[in-house]
Amino acid sequence: MHIPDNYLSPSTCIVMGAAMVPVWAIAVHKVKKEVTRSKIPMIGIGAAFSFLMMMFNVPLPGGTTGHAVGGTLLAILLGPYAACIAITVALLIQALLFGDGGILSFGANCFNMAFIIPFLGYFIYKFIKDRTKSEKGEYVGIIVGSYVGINMAALVAAIEFGVQPLLFTNSQGQPLYSPYPLSISIPAMMIPHLLVAGVVEVLFTTAIYTFIKKVSPGTIFEGAKQKIHTIYGLIVALICLTPLGLLATGTAWGEWGADEIKDVVHGGKQLGYTPAGMKNGFSFNAIMPDYSVKGLPEIAGYILSAIAGVAIMVIIFKIISSFSKTKPKDISNES
Amino acid sequence: MIDLKDVSYSYEGINALNNINLHIEKGEAVALMGANGTGKSTLLKLMNGLLSPDQGVYRFDQEEITPKKLKNTKFSKAFHQKIGFVFQNSDTQLFCADVYDEIAFGPRQMGMNEDDVEKRVNDCLDLLGIQNFKHRQPYHLSGGEKRKVAIACVLALNPEVLVLDEPMNGLDPRTQRWLVNFLNTLNRSGKTLIISTHNLDLVQELSKRAILFDENHSIAADLPSENLFQEIDLLKKINLVDENYQHY
Amino acid sequence: MNHKENQRNLPDWLLKDENYIPQSDKDQFIGKSILSILRILSKIKSQSEYKTDKFHVNAALKVAFTFLLVILLSLSTSYTFIFVVDVYLLVVLSFMDGKEIIKILSVSLAMAFFTFIILFPYILLGNTYTSMIITLKVLSTLIAVNILSHSTRWNTITGALRRFYVPNIFILVLDITIKYISMLGDFSLNMLYSLKLRSVGKNNSKYGSIAGIAGTMFMKSKEMAEEMYAAMECRGFTGEYTVRSKWKLTIADFIYMLLTIGMIAAFILWGRI
Ligand SMILES: Nc1ncnc2c1ncn2[C@@H]1O[C@H](COP(=O)(O)OP(=O)(O)OP(=O)(O)O)[C@@H](O)[C@H]1O
Ligand SMILES: [Mg+2]
Repeated sequence: MHIPDNYLSPSTCIVMGAAMVPVWAIAVHKVKKEVTRSKIPMIGIGAAFSFLMMMFNVPLPGGTTGHAVGGTLLAILLGPYAACIAITVALLIQALLFGDGGILSFGANCFNMAFIIPFLGYFIYKFIKDRTKSEKGEYVGIIVGSYVGINMAALVAAIEFGVQPLLFTNSQGQPLYSPYPLSISIPAMMIPHLLVAGVVEVLFTTAIYTFIKKVSPGTIFEGAKQKIHTIYGLIVALICLTPLGLLATGTAWGEWGADEIKDVVHGGKQLGYTPAGMKNGFSFNAIMPDYSVKGLPEIAGYILSAIAGVAIMVIIFKIISSFSKTKPKDISNES
Repeated sequence: MIDLKDVSYSYEGINALNNINLHIEKGEAVALMGANGTGKSTLLKLMNGLLSPDQGVYRFDQEEITPKKLKNTKFSKAFHQKIGFVFQNSDTQLFCADVYDEIAFGPRQMGMNEDDVEKRVNDCLDLLGIQNFKHRQPYHLSGGEKRKVAIACVLALNPEVLVLDEPMNGLDPRTQRWLVNFLNTLNRSGKTLIISTHNLDLVQELSKRAILFDENHSIAADLPSENLFQEIDLLKKINLVDENYQHY
Repeated sequence: MNHKENQRNLPDWLLKDENYIPQSDKDQFIGKSILSILRILSKIKSQSEYKTDKFHVNAALKVAFTFLLVILLSLSTSYTFIFVVDVYLLVVLSFMDGKEIIKILSVSLAMAFFTFIILFPYILLGNTYTSMIITLKVLSTLIAVNILSHSTRWNTITGALRRFYVPNIFILVLDITIKYISMLGDFSLNMLYSLKLRSVGKNNSKYGSIAGIAGTMFMKSKEMAEEMYAAMECRGFTGEYTVRSKWKLTIADFIYMLLTIGMIAAFILWGRI
């Protein structure tokens, strides 16, 4: 579910990031108030836990494996606010230091995975648990909460993808970011999540919760009961507002883009529907047909191509020589 | 039983084992000794197939152990049943919700029926004298108690070779002595033992053979453990003891 | 405890050889989890070695420039600009170590390929432009970010965030997180190893095992958090955390800034044609 950069337009990313700001602010405030002891280390170590949990491969029927996000689980264990911060930090480290998941799309990823999953999952869990008051109710809460949590996040991600072609196209009307409309992005995201990822999440969450409850029930977060209304309000408001915000900024941005492009086209240069080399396939040649690159003076294009050529030669040479240095070392993990 | 030829290993450029040649017969008890970071744990992991050598050959029961073979599930499972490993840190070895399940984990996997499993678990609990925390959670046990549970888990698989990484660490003196006796009993009953230890006082009782590692991550000496204290200079040279060490 | 008696009479089963023939079981999840954690750990460990940053460029500048590059790439609509950026990235790559080049390229190419596959149906619909430009942008962005993370020590990256007015406390949390990812990672790696060694047959509760490992890791992390807080208090921690960093600009930094200006110029010239 980690959205890389360039799938979403920068303005979408800004909107999603902006939507996270109040969430983060409230979460930091709440965590400061709720967790009296060991605040800072707990968040850091919670983030480390969250990060590692995403590394676990979970068995799927048929012998294959999948990943769980564990957002609802973390919310049940640490409370939704601490979970929100922990997942945020984990996502930041993934994006910044492991180059995994985008930097611009960080806000969107946080919205989906650090906001929707823990808050929605937790409050469904809490809602059911508080109203049934039996162990069964608790487990029903966990199952429904983790299932709905991850699927809602997938749905929001699908909407983020799906609005891109509506909003962001170049002057020829070609999409610049994720090109599939809602009618494709929603089923493409939802079918695997409803059928597989959601089930994995449920199994993973219940199994770990059961284990911890058996071994160390004292470590599980005890949330107060009445706070539900305010947070529901916040969730509903944000969910409603986000698409509106997207639409609003989207059109503004789109117009700005179109104007500027018109200027550029007026300036005498123009871009064909497809650059000449493109139809022949997608070899490197396609990008710089005959060593001349559109918009660049021929000589500059030639020099750049030459630099690229030299750099590529050096890279290939280094890769080959480092292969011959590395010994065949294989750790026997694939069992 | 175990045969290493010119084995070397390094972790991403950090050398940990250098040209190791070692042969261990079935039924032997061998102690590995060496200063911190000389590669004892690495060698034990390698023997258990968790790491594979960068160079050289590792044979178990005449069969070469390679990553490729270990990828074969059946081969790897059969191999892991024959050689049991008690980790240096028992904390990381226990992951079940109670001690009973922890010990039953292996036998259940081997497809025994639940009556046989119960007998085996109870035997193990008795052997290690831990019947009284059968239903405790491993996570909350003390360090020494965890060690005993970890040994019981490995024993329950009835391996032919038992590999223990610093099993005496963190045990009280009486329990240390008890463990030495227990391991001796296992050895006499035919189990091959490979034990890494820093305990100079108990090593002679633990095994007849001592392998000393030097700080170049290779084997400095392979000698009968009763001769260990005639070689104080050697012990000093490999930095296992300090300049002023004296043995009484 | 009656240690003495127990030793004399070992149970029969322990005296016999096992003659056990394993059933096969589909438990790749253990191996795969081990691999993904090993990958993380080796990346963190390689960070603790001395980084040969050949250009000696200030980390804050590098972070800022990488962000800028990512933004410009994302805004750009032209192959020309992406091409200019790619030439720059290739040149930087060619100065790096062979092994690191492999790591950076393999991660980036894999993700770009994935993107290409996703967008392939769109190519079949006749729109090569969108699919190609997104794939190229994904590739370039990933290479840029991975160059940053491979060529700069992480503590200087987190330290650099302070230049952008990220609160110190947040940087402390990041530093703690990285440290504990490696500690808890080591811990869970050993648990996975142990699970692997003891998985000698058919595991009928795979979720139970994975839950045991993740659950133990959770309890361990709680315990560590409490210990760490106690230790921090003992050492007089009051919530203030100072990040030390030198801020001296060298010639390399100025060249780097010129590059930045050059990229912006390139974007203005060709970025949105
Ligand atoms: N996972 C790892 N990554 C990198 N280096 C490692 C790793 N594990 C061990 N090392 C290094 O390999 C060398 C050998 O380590 P090993 O754990 O085998 O030593 P040891 O003899 O068991 O020490 P001790 O007596 O302290 O347990 C050491 O220099 C250590 O720093
Ligand atoms: Mg060791």
